[in-house]
Amino acid sequence: MNRYRFCKWSRRLVLLGWLLPPLATASSLFGDENLQIHGFLSQGYTHTSANSWLGDSSNGSWDFRELGLNASYRLTPQLQISGQLLSLTAGEMQDGSPSLDYGLLDYNFANFDNGNLGLRFGRVKTPIGLYNDTRDAAFTRPTNFLPQSIYFDKVRNLELSNDGFQIYGDLLTDWGDLLFQGGMGKPVTDENVEYAYLGNDWQGELSSDFFFLGRIIYELDAGRIRLSATIADGDLDFEPGPTDPFSKGTVSIQLRVLSFQYNAEAWHFTTEYMQEDVINRNLGAFRPDDSGGTAEGFYLQFAHDLFTDWEIIARYDVSYLNRDDRDGTKQEAGPFGIPAHNMFAKDWTLGLRWDITPAFMVRGEYHWVDGTAWLSARENNFFQTERHWQMFSLLASYRF
Amino acid sequence: MEKRQDPTAGIPDRASPWHLPLAPVLLLAFSLLFFPSSQVFALQLITHPNTDIAEISRSTARAVFSMRRQVWPDGGAIRVFVFPDKHKLHKAFAKQLLGVFPHQLRRAWDRKVFSGTGQAPDTVQSEAEMIEMINKTPGAIGYISEDNRDESVQILQVE
Repeated sequence: MNRYRFCKWSRRLVLLGWLLPPLATASSLFGDENLQIHGFLSQGYTHTSANSWLGDSSNGSWDFRELGLNASYRLTPQLQISGQLLSLTAGEMQDGSPSLDYGLLDYNFANFDNGNLGLRFGRVKTPIGLYNDTRDAAFTRPTNFLPQSIYFDKVRNLELSNDGFQIYGDLLTDWGDLLFQGGMGKPVTDENVEYAYLGNDWQGELSSDFFFLGRIIYELDAGRIRLSATIADGDLDFEPGPTDPFSKGTVSIQLRVLSFQYNAEAWHFTTEYMQEDVINRNLGAFRPDDSGGTAEGFYLQFAHDLFTDWEIIARYDVSYLNRDDRDGTKQEAGPFGIPAHNMFAKDWTLGLRWDITPAFMVRGEYHWVDGTAWLSARENNFFQTERHWQMFSLLASYRF
Repeated sequence: MEKRQDPTAGIPDRASPWHLPLAPVLLLAFSLLFFPSSQVFALQLITHPNTDIAEISRSTARAVFSMRRQVWPDGGAIRVFVFPDKHKLHKAFAKQLLGVFPHQLRRAWDRKVFSGTGQAPDTVQSEAEMIEMINKTPGAIGYISEDNRDESVQILQVE
């Protein structure tokens, strides 16, 4: 992005910043206690020592922006309608065109002494691990970029939301609460999904079938301890174009995530572990049926609150694209000779967050990365990536 | 005659600007880290006068203030009112009555608001405003300090 465009954008952001606070009280303005309007604006700056992450980052990139605007309305005490518009700009991966992040009806049909049950229908957020549901709102995530071992940004849309339904239930007991979500839905796919699973944006189309999506969370003391297990299971169907090297086939995916979090008054420990099976079927000679594998990832994260408005965070995040080829040597020896370091990434992150006001936050973080597994093929030529690289990211975020 | 040991021996006459303020700054830092100011208030849950409920379990109260439980047993909508996150009464309320940290509530609300699965509570700035809003909003629930006991709202006991 050139300087002129950045100036234009920053002016717009400042303007919006002045216009938005009155919206926060929009519900009272409209005089309707059933209506709520919220949103967020985030602008990031990314600089990498090598490789590209969200734009031309080795020269410093401003191409990371998240704008969200949502509204919810309680039609009856148990029936809520809500929707969120989202504009993501992320280098070559997202161009900022607005999309419907979620738009759903939530019917909380049964309430008991010790819990409740409900049904959501429409475009619903995909429940994965501890952070996925609200990953676009910078305030709700621990760092500017979520741990890429589990929350892939190179295929963000696939994890973001899905069209379908979801049954949910809460069970409150003396020994903790159980929160359950389960349903069927078609994840939103885009060209980034083709890049991630088929290596390019082909003439044909990769579209998702219905996935089974389920998550159970156990919370002790309303979240002092949080334990969770996630499963996502379904197929992506490829319909080839006339010149594509693949035949009509499927990529089957099963994602499994285990999560643990401990929240004390001033510190938080979080760890998550992920496995993702990828099985290619009938795609032809360039993607033989045995060419899939199991990706694996985990991270350990420690955050400490300082003086109530500051938080310091440290994380070690590890991704393997194939757990049977963690160091990538098999891949490098294979027919395409893709350099081994593209098969893994080990990322040390140190970050500092400052909540200047409850509505305005700034966060800086530094990443030391060994490997390039989570970079997008859309922004990088895998034969030219550098194995050891660093990233600095600065993000300012406003919410209402 | 024995020379008296100078207690400041070894310390440069003119301490560098970093040395002097270090002790008080560290002391302040540690006191903030390890002795967070947690005042104890006598607090009580209050509801709109027509609410047909006199006591509530702690786990249900948590579900209500986490915005997970949306209706009263009679089917009416629950309307939750709170003070700002950093308000001393809110901190005391979260810890004493619910047994949670204020940041846990904030995270629970954010998860609801930004995933389309719920709404945030309404925020009031003073106890007078709290009483006023609870009084005029059917289905409302909130909290005040016991010093401000007010006959116009109903008291809800936590079991």
